[in-house]
Amino acid sequence: MKRIFIDPSKCDGCKNCSVACMEAHRRDGGSGVCTLDLTDPANVSRNRIVTDGRGGYDPIFCRHCDVPDCAGACMSGALKKNQTTGLVEYDEEKCAACFMCVMSCRYGVPAVSADRKRMIKCDFCVHLEEGPACVRACPKKAIEVREV
Amino acid sequence: MERFVIIGAGAAGITAAQTLRELRPDDLITVLSTDERVHSRCMLHKYLGHERDAQGINFVDADFFEKNDITHIPGETVKRIDTAAKMVYFGESYSLPYDKLLIATGAGFFIPPIPHFREAPNVFGFRDLSDALAIDEAFGRGKRVFIVGSGLVGLDAASALCERGAEITIAEMAPRVMPLQTDDYAASVYQKAFEAHGCRFLLGIGASDAVVDGEGNITEVILSTGEHVPCDFIIMAAGVRPRIQIALDSGIAAERAITVDEYLRTSAPAVFAAGDCTGLSGVWPDAMDQGKYAAWNMIGIAERYPKPYPFKNTSNFFGITMLSVGRLDLTEGAEILAHRTPTEYRKAILTDGKLTGYLQLGNISNTGLYLYLVRNGVDLSGRKERIFDLSFADFYGINEKNGEFAYKV
Repeated sequence: MKRIFIDPSKCDGCKNCSVACMEAHRRDGGSGVCTLDLTDPANVSRNRIVTDGRGGYDPIFCRHCDVPDCAGACMSGALKKNQTTGLVEYDEEKCAACFMCVMSCRYGVPAVSADRKRMIKCDFCVHLEEGPACVRACPKKAIEVREV
Repeated sequence: MERFVIIGAGAAGITAAQTLRELRPDDLITVLSTDERVHSRCMLHKYLGHERDAQGINFVDADFFEKNDITHIPGETVKRIDTAAKMVYFGESYSLPYDKLLIATGAGFFIPPIPHFREAPNVFGFRDLSDALAIDEAFGRGKRVFIVGSGLVGLDAASALCERGAEITIAEMAPRVMPLQTDDYAASVYQKAFEAHGCRFLLGIGASDAVVDGEGNITEVILSTGEHVPCDFIIMAAGVRPRIQIALDSGIAAERAITVDEYLRTSAPAVFAAGDCTGLSGVWPDAMDQGKYAAWNMIGIAERYPKPYPFKNTSNFFGITMLSVGRLDLTEGAEILAHRTPTEYRKAILTDGKLTGYLQLGNISNTGLYLYLVRNGVDLSGRKERIFDLSFADFYGINEKNGEFAYKV
């Protein structure tokens, strides 16, 4: 399976990864970051860059954990660990918006959609042939896809 | 080849079955369930609200049993276990041998000893799909609903039925709604939302008696205040009790719940128990976890089940979302920090520098770490000022080997 590896020492907090994530998951039909509304709560990034308080940055990305807290808490069957790809997959249709996944992720990764109807989490950009948009957008190679 | 039998098809039973299948591709696995269909009780309100059908509240794929080569015997309640002969008995005259058995019978709703309530045919629980079906049918005959209890189950039922035009009265013994998950302010937010949808609350009031018709149906609930409330039927949401009858009838040790050791073994050899029937916790994630540990222990991977942190929950009614963890009442020596804006409310309770309770109402995105901080008693005395701004960055660590995160505390 693949995982996005993080080297926080290389991150300079430019947040290109966040913008790329928002762009890759926008639902307004538009394309290109110039037309992306960064202030619309519907365009939320699935990754976050947080300052470490010492001048550096800590990228917080879904780890698609080997033993995922989120899927272990899901009462609707919407979140599942795919044993072949290693990804923690989310089925929006099945989700009942109870948000026990949000409560259970010890790293605080899952978010709630602006309309409170679904959870928001990294999907590894499975809809993009070239792989996760965040990784391609990082100018510092602070994040990269590696085989685990 | 070993024969595994699981009694119950809820969170614990299904998770155990799936875990067993992953680890034992060739063994025989049978699931017996009183329930006709696998369903998530946390989604019953979606069924009752006519948002989803029975398949829509199934938490596994429709072909789960076929795909995993697991035999499912639905609609059958196990009557007795012969722990010496290793045999379970069900139906008129059926029996099934096992090498390892898991009891995952869950918990059933509880009816307090109020006159007429235990006998009346129009008093329902709201735990299983069969309860939801019965309520749905009763709702076709009359729309005045009396709900006893304003916990998550009571409010789930209320939210489903008020959208369908019910006239709902909810009686709560405590002075506020969802007393276990809220404080006064958070409770008032939910109370107003339900009232705006036509629900009426009676707080600090219990049902003490009833008026019945010729068939024993309750037509009026008599409150502790003496007031009479006419109703067409009643939903009991005043707590649950672990289902232990099968243990009692089979000589397996049980008190309020089925007694298990840290490996989830019961007093009988080769018999394990998991989920609500063990009384260890009453929330879905913990039941799944217990199902997994029970499965491991059933096949000899000795894994101690870590005691769960039972006081945790999330709620979502009318799009108002809330996270509540730990104890929210003020105990001696505790310190309260709160933050409120028109759309958000956060409250942290610190005891000796450690977070012992946490409540967040509004957007609850990224709040999972607060459960971790409470459960693990992380010292936050130096971070009090930033308590509502904490993120994993405050404890950031990476497992270099596999790239996963790891807490640094």
